[in-house]
Amino acid sequence: MKILVSVKQVPDMEAPVTIDARGRWTGPALSFRMNRFDEYALEEALLIKEACHDVTIDAVSVGPARVQSVVVRAMEMGADTGVHIEIGREGYVPPEVIAAHIHGYAREQDYELIICGAMSEDCMHAQVGPLLAELMGVPSLTAVISAHMREDGSTLDIEQEIEGGLRRRFVLVLPALISVQTGINHPRYPTLTNVLRAKRQAVRRIMAHDIPPRTRFSFREAPEAKQGVLIRGSIREQAKEMLRVLHEHAIL
Amino acid sequence: MAKRIVIIAESSAATVSPVTYELVTLAAAIDPAFVEIVALGTDSGEAAREIAVHTGMPVTAVVTSAGYTPELWKDLVFRIIQGRNPDLTITAHTACGQDFAPGLAARLGIPCITAVESCSRADDELTFTRSILNGKALMDITPGATPCLITVMPGAFAAYGSTSPTQGEITLIASDSLPSRVVPSGMTQPGEEDTVPITEAEVVVSAGRGIGKPENLELIAQLAARFNRSAVGCSRPLCDQGWLPYRQQVGLTGATVSPKLYIACGISGSPQHVAGMRDSQLIIAINKDPHAAIFQVADYCVIADVVEFIPILLEELDNQ
Repeated sequence: MKILVSVKQVPDMEAPVTIDARGRWTGPALSFRMNRFDEYALEEALLIKEACHDVTIDAVSVGPARVQSVVVRAMEMGADTGVHIEIGREGYVPPEVIAAHIHGYAREQDYELIICGAMSEDCMHAQVGPLLAELMGVPSLTAVISAHMREDGSTLDIEQEIEGGLRRRFVLVLPALISVQTGINHPRYPTLTNVLRAKRQAVRRIMAHDIPPRTRFSFREAPEAKQGVLIRGSIREQAKEMLRVLHEHAIL
Repeated sequence: MAKRIVIIAESSAATVSPVTYELVTLAAAIDPAFVEIVALGTDSGEAAREIAVHTGMPVTAVVTSAGYTPELWKDLVFRIIQGRNPDLTITAHTACGQDFAPGLAARLGIPCITAVESCSRADDELTFTRSILNGKALMDITPGATPCLITVMPGAFAAYGSTSPTQGEITLIASDSLPSRVVPSGMTQPGEEDTVPITEAEVVVSAGRGIGKPENLELIAQLAARFNRSAVGCSRPLCDQGWLPYRQQVGLTGATVSPKLYIACGISGSPQHVAGMRDSQLIIAINKDPHAAIFQVADYCVIADVVEFIPILLEELDNQ
């Protein structure tokens, strides 16, 4: 069985980061890492590989040259091969364009299962998975919080997370696509063996052709904190003021 | 020019989800004269009646013999949209909306814009605004003359308030279930609660990634214990790490709370979290990042490291 995992590179949002009008990430200490949701997606593929026979995992990412590092990271975590669909410029790429690029590559392969993260942490569209499934003509389920492959490898028993902690159960016949929620598993760290293997192994590079987006988009900073009152002073002064506020609102 | 709008309602069993009326508010602000609402599901007839009475707008109920699957919803809504060619199709950015809407848009060959929080209109063009970077930046998307499908963030618009003197017209359509490679197989309930359920607590003290390590949850618990009818909540990353059970998660995929007091401790304030707590009566946010998005919804903002701040706050509480 061949499994495809889509991984996205996102800016590390622990450091200050913003986006310019053309959709390029900016920041004084800009650094990038793998989207957390995609770490869970890859781990889910690795768990299926460990539980079933004869599974290979390909990791794919779409973006400029810098995103190759997350493809390598995926191989270090255990993906068998890495594919980089390279876009020759920096800047925002809409989910429909990402899905179209992955489809262009994946339609010529025989993937039984495609696993995506439920969304990316930077843009939070939650679209690439279900869009890609529709382009591939396979059924999909999103927000998957539990996936169990039946022994014959033909069917997944799925739990999908919905509001209020409820879960909807489905039986999903492959080929199919799932996009997974964080918390579905515990993503592993790279092993030394896999790090060395990833070093030797080349990432397959595919130059992306131009796909024009169908919408116009622009970016701006969110308006500054609106009416919230800033509690100033030393930590102790802040604590005293907060208690005064609670008394004022008759909560203490 | 008039905009033709179709709203895909959300309901569970025969109960209309409140977010449906928020979608109606948005549609009515764009063009109230050309809105049609579509309800789907085994009990959609009852849901349709409630919506038609409340809004006075025409409602089509597609009565299904099977429960929700994204494949079934895509098939059914596709047929309806194809026959009507609306300029805009609106559904909720809920688990269900996120599940079927992008694929439906792809099938219709139209763009999909998700997690919309506001809408503006200029020169007859609609622009939809959504958050990125945990709410620190905004993205404006304009579909131009192209029809499009949007999913709207729950809580972004007020519920449709005006009640109609006349009931909207109801059309019932029966649908056969189609053979599918996705089969629904029931629901799993969340685990039993052992303390005050978070949705009923009057004070919610919530922890986020800013607490650093699981040992610091003790600080959150101690602070919560100082209030009556209190509960400890958290943002999603803490559940993912296994620090707290998912039933304590506040946000789009967790609980929606509106306590008298919500204290956000080390929570960045992603739109997913804010959607679950923005209606709290009083919000105090403690975060060391002065640009944290949580400060945009907070009534009071404390810029401090929560791990240093709470022990001092507890001391001051003891001194009173």
